[in-house]
Amino acid sequence: MGEVKTALGQDDSLPRTHQLAIQAAGQAMSGCTLPPDAVILGTTTGGILTTETLLAKGEKRPEYYQYHGLTSVCEEIARRHGCTGPALTVSTACSSSAAAIKIALEMLRRGEAVRVLAGGVDSLCRLTYFGFNSLQLVDPEGSRPLDKNRQGMSVAEGAAMLLLTVEKTDTIIAEVLGAGLSCDAYHAAAPHPQGEGAYQAMRAALNDAGLSPADIGYIALHGTGTLDNDLAEARAVNKLFDFAPPRLSSLKGAMGHSLGAAGAMAAVIAALIVSRDIVPANTRCQKPDPALCLTPLTTPLNQPVAAVLSNSFGFGGNNASLIITPPGRFTCPERPAASRAWTIIGSSCLTGAGNKDKTMAALRLDQPIAGALSLAEISADLPARAVRRLKRLPRIALALAAAAHDDSAASNPKAVFMGTGWGALSETYDFLKRLRETEEQFPSPTDFVGSVHNGPASQIAIRYNSTGANITTSGGDYSFEQALLSADLSAADSEQPILIIGADEGHPELSPLFDKSISHSQNHPNTLVDGGGALCLTKNSKARGTTISPAFYQSADKTNVIAALLRSLDGPEALRADYGLLLAGIPASCREQGEAQLARFTALSGFNAPIIDYRRLTGEFATASAVATVMAVDFLEKGTIPPSLAGQGRSSLKGKGVLLLGLGRFITAVRIKAP
Amino acid sequence: MDELIKELKIKLIDTLNLMDVTPDDIDENAQFVGGELGIDSIDVLEMVVMIEKDYQVTINNKEIGEKVFSTLTALAEYINENSSRFSP
Repeated sequence: MGEVKTALGQDDSLPRTHQLAIQAAGQAMSGCTLPPDAVILGTTTGGILTTETLLAKGEKRPEYYQYHGLTSVCEEIARRHGCTGPALTVSTACSSSAAAIKIALEMLRRGEAVRVLAGGVDSLCRLTYFGFNSLQLVDPEGSRPLDKNRQGMSVAEGAAMLLLTVEKTDTIIAEVLGAGLSCDAYHAAAPHPQGEGAYQAMRAALNDAGLSPADIGYIALHGTGTLDNDLAEARAVNKLFDFAPPRLSSLKGAMGHSLGAAGAMAAVIAALIVSRDIVPANTRCQKPDPALCLTPLTTPLNQPVAAVLSNSFGFGGNNASLIITPPGRFTCPERPAASRAWTIIGSSCLTGAGNKDKTMAALRLDQPIAGALSLAEISADLPARAVRRLKRLPRIALALAAAAHDDSAASNPKAVFMGTGWGALSETYDFLKRLRETEEQFPSPTDFVGSVHNGPASQIAIRYNSTGANITTSGGDYSFEQALLSADLSAADSEQPILIIGADEGHPELSPLFDKSISHSQNHPNTLVDGGGALCLTKNSKARGTTISPAFYQSADKTNVIAALLRSLDGPEALRADYGLLLAGIPASCREQGEAQLARFTALSGFNAPIIDYRRLTGEFATASAVATVMAVDFLEKGTIPPSLAGQGRSSLKGKGVLLLGLGRFITAVRIKAP
Repeated sequence: MDELIKELKIKLIDTLNLMDVTPDDIDENAQFVGGELGIDSIDVLEMVVMIEKDYQVTINNKEIGEKVFSTLTALAEYINENSSRFSP
């Protein structure tokens, strides 16, 4: 437990997290000569250990921070293994990699991939080490899960990967039979005291797998060793198994808590359990806490297990449970094919011009919209007491969610999906600054809790009691598209409304270091801009309105990627017939590449309707595509494009849809169509 | 003690960003956590850090924490008893 001692190789140009991930991915991919169709990883802090050192040295050159972003880990693994499909990054705190496995599972079930490399990674870093200490959640004697005298967790590091496939090969070790997601919607850091969210995640996993509690032979508990987690989880387990649970233990007494890697780590061990008939003990539990009413295994057993239930719970009440079984032991229930399009029943955006109404009015008057609102403007409609601890990004996200929800006039959203390129930069910066200034003595627990990427989405869940899936994705300039894809995969049958948000904050110190597009911006060089967009969606067949569906997500390195894009849109003729506007997202950092891709696209498709290069309007921030999506919704509702953007005589959409293209390092397409 | 309580009220508002609260609004004998101010476990920990930094008093155990953070008066008493700043 603690630090990984194995030599990680000599590549010091990469942060420790990336090196850990490379090692684990190499092991998982050994014996497989074909590249995975997708890589889906969970991580909470990416390359921050390196970033912390650079910031302390006062390094101002952006090129040194190129591996800071969470997405850089996943993209590095995809590149090394020749994957040209989606490289998705899930960041839901300590359930990140279990949630990543859920999304991988849905991608395989949907037939959108044959092989997916899924897993998680986190390295030790000052942010999490001092952060958990500031919350008094670290046991000075080392984690003692379920013990009467437990005082907390042990912060650890690691990486774990699984190569998942739908192919029937003779090297199958285990099956991921089902997975369930839930959100406590209770508190930013503490679990629901009765373990309600934990119970719902386990219940959802059982339903997904078509199993009953009696089928489970062993539970790999989340079992961090904190007073609150172990108690809440014990209550949930006892509720689900009616006080007679199967064998169970927490692996974290032996391994510590590797945060974003922990869920995949437990999944790998679950695969070993069902394939090698080993049941691990609850290391370091001397005397089980009688208040838990659980009897953890005190010594390992050599016995077959029919099904493992593995729990991962994270900050913000983001929960994921997995069910792993021996190959062929159970038959998975048949699943109805998901219909692809979501109906948009509410939308909102925030730009330098203001909210959606102000942004759309500015666009029609040919006035600028790029900029950054003041914190007071963003918070104008948010209850002061409820947001007193929240800094810029969670306030942007809450304001967007509130406006999209109000616009929908629907019931509360059941699930929340948020994409953010860089996460809560203010909280991260302030935490690290105070840590340095006080010589590591007085870190802020509030800033630590707020620094997690999924903080904003969990705040939204608390506000609307959204107890379904709660997923935060971070894919750089494609973060909003990743959120949309994740929603489409994991909430495919949601009759109840869901919220999808894309948002980023412009931070004066960190944004110019992290986001290369800021210094490359042509219209707004070195200007801080931010904002985002939100959609309230449903699959309820009675809902009427504009529809949206993700259509394409591949790396620009894929051979003939533009031709593949056209095929996925049913070819040039259908494209010209279906779309009256193309919204092209070209991040300034890859302007030349993006313009060449766009030229290729128009040449191959003969597309001659208006094209809006929307980042010239929104300015440069990672989730600008969320604003573009809301523009599309507005144009479709009105049936016209502002003439200043479309060109004279070209402003009618003629009942056609809008195609949202993401260009640059990845090529993405989202279909947005009139009712 | 009254001076310390007054000082703590100002620090409380500042540390927890209670922008709509004035020192006079705070009842030092009211229940501190889960009361009218909406203070929760993270706020308590933020106060723990502030108290350690400003008064060199450490509160790192749940039982003591629960006692000390029952009311602002209890907190002031604990600081008064344990801080070198207030020793003779």
